[in-house]
Amino acid sequence: MPAIYVPDGLSVLMYHHWIAVIYKRSTENKENEKYMRPYFEKMPDLGKELKKGQIKRSEEARQQFKDSEVEIEKEVDKVKNAGFSEEKINARGQMTVWQRLEYLIDPGTWSPLHTLFNPTDNEEGTTNVIDGIGKISGRWAVVIGFDNKVMAGAWLPGQSENILRVQDLAKRLNIPLVWLVNCSGAKLTEQEKFYANRRGAGTPFFRHAELEQLGIPVLAGIYGTNPAGGGYQAVSPTILFAHKDCNIAVGGAGIVSGMAPKGGFDLDSAEDLIEKSKHFKAKPPGAVSTHYDATGFFRYVYEEETGVLDGLKDFMTKIPAYDPEFFRVAEPAAPKFEQDDLYRLLPLDPKKVYDFDEILARLVDNSEHMEYRPDYGPEMYTGLVKIDGFLVGCIGNRQGYLGKGYPEYADYPGICGKLYRQGLIKMNEFVTQCGRDRVPVVWFQDTSGIDVGDIAERAELLGLGQSLVYSIQQTDVPMMLVLLRKGTAAAHYVLGGPTANRHNAFTIGTTASEIYVMHGETASVATYSRRLVKEKEAGRPLEPVIEKMNALADEYHQKSRPLFCAKTGMVDEIVPLDAVRKYLVAFAGSSYQNPKSICPQHHLMLPRIIKG
Amino acid sequence: MAEEIIAPLSGKIMAINITVGQEVEEDEEAVIIEAMKMETSIYVPCDGKIAEIKVKVGDEVEEDDVLAVIE
Repeated sequence: MPAIYVPDGLSVLMYHHWIAVIYKRSTENKENEKYMRPYFEKMPDLGKELKKGQIKRSEEARQQFKDSEVEIEKEVDKVKNAGFSEEKINARGQMTVWQRLEYLIDPGTWSPLHTLFNPTDNEEGTTNVIDGIGKISGRWAVVIGFDNKVMAGAWLPGQSENILRVQDLAKRLNIPLVWLVNCSGAKLTEQEKFYANRRGAGTPFFRHAELEQLGIPVLAGIYGTNPAGGGYQAVSPTILFAHKDCNIAVGGAGIVSGMAPKGGFDLDSAEDLIEKSKHFKAKPPGAVSTHYDATGFFRYVYEEETGVLDGLKDFMTKIPAYDPEFFRVAEPAAPKFEQDDLYRLLPLDPKKVYDFDEILARLVDNSEHMEYRPDYGPEMYTGLVKIDGFLVGCIGNRQGYLGKGYPEYADYPGICGKLYRQGLIKMNEFVTQCGRDRVPVVWFQDTSGIDVGDIAERAELLGLGQSLVYSIQQTDVPMMLVLLRKGTAAAHYVLGGPTANRHNAFTIGTTASEIYVMHGETASVATYSRRLVKEKEAGRPLEPVIEKMNALADEYHQKSRPLFCAKTGMVDEIVPLDAVRKYLVAFAGSSYQNPKSICPQHHLMLPRIIKG
Repeated sequence: MAEEIIAPLSGKIMAINITVGQEVEEDEEAVIIEAMKMETSIYVPCDGKIAEIKVKVGDEVEEDDVLAVIE
């Protein structure tokens, strides 16, 4: 029996109509409940299709950019192939750190960081930890593992700095830190470079405690032999998932055998060492029989290497994370234009200008945006965009000539890439509003600095730059920097650079990126111009000074290249242009996974201010 | 109907990528002007044929100067 009595054919038609109407309304209402629809469902369009002429003339530039990415890829391959081969590690019944990551991380979400970071130029070519952001069981985590191919995952110089960056990242994004521990302890022949000091190898253990005190869980899968430093790497996280063959201990076979040195070695002590070493090799301290059966430090023990990873995957479903729907303002959507266009739009040559808005159009959902104050401070873009359905604030340097009458305080023309009074004021306002609205911020940097000279000083640019530092610092939202090309002078600091320690979660660069206090040629002029005058007045030849000037310019060039920036940590990763969006997605998703503070969508002010 | 290619800013002519008599398409790169250490490309505003080029490489030009004429 139907629930509603239907007397005749006409009523049947009416009935179906009502049902359809009711269903439609309920669907619409659901969407209305989900989004502040008039603002976010469809935002104004950004960008346009490339023109025929543009495609034709950018063919060579596109190829050059691709070629430069191949060079970086070769360096990444060197790091991946450092130490023993995969075959050798597999033959021992172990997986490599790369295989473990592959198994652990949800496909397509791995966004590596610090791959080329090697600030102390280790001969191993790596700091010996591999890290990045990725999803595990659908939830974002910062993930880091020791490279067990290189000295069984030893501590190396530069490693603690790498780990501290990763821990800062988990803290900033308020997402779990997941470890793949496999650490043989310190490389003893270089211990003086990393064992002690404020940011030395012991500092990460304090940071683990700090993360835990902030409510950020640290999960650790543990493999292999982890003595001394390795033992603390393994025991300092929140929950320990052990492989059956692993061990963790205050000291390993080497230390226990070598206790109480007698001021030298002789034949007797050597024989003694041989005996003890044999014993500890057979039965290393801190194995599963001790730390699962006796102490209970290991929460779980697994037969298979993959079992440990399955355990981590299972636990990731238990950590605090909002369903993305909670914060999304629209359904996720790909940009309307091809990612490959980016290679035609961003010139590798730092002197060539380009249209930043067209680049942004290729990175944001459905190529839509809401620009904040488009008629003010034209050298800077500020606006709201959607990344994977999440609302993100975006600030970027525009490029090219600014037109007559700008900057308004000067009688000289303005060119983008430089910062002027209006742009600085606009950024101060925008950042402050993003902080108020709890909207994470992505900065796009390609700057030649802040306008200089007495006219610029009177226009308060020195003060307004530091005001922007103040404005950033008084917010508490995650920020990310995409260094499209140049990071120069104080502008590199104030435009959300890595120097904003508490805010900048991470910085990615491109193969067009370069960072220096000023251009090498400018530095040569600043350093040697007076010397040139002196030599000239003294009637001496100028060639030796010119040689030095060229040498300095060349050195600046070498020490500002993308590879140098990545190696020294000035950027956290050099990323192919068609992978930039992937990092934006990781950043937005991580920022909204478990934010420390919430602004209700119907209380956001920025969209209202933009609408007017 | 003649159309002019105008200098949008003052600077130095770095390169000229067109020749008199050449058939051009809208948005081809015609001239590069260097100003404030940056190279600004000037594009062909419409399809046509280059009737005249009024500058040479190395010339200093002022804003609104006519660089070339298209017919």
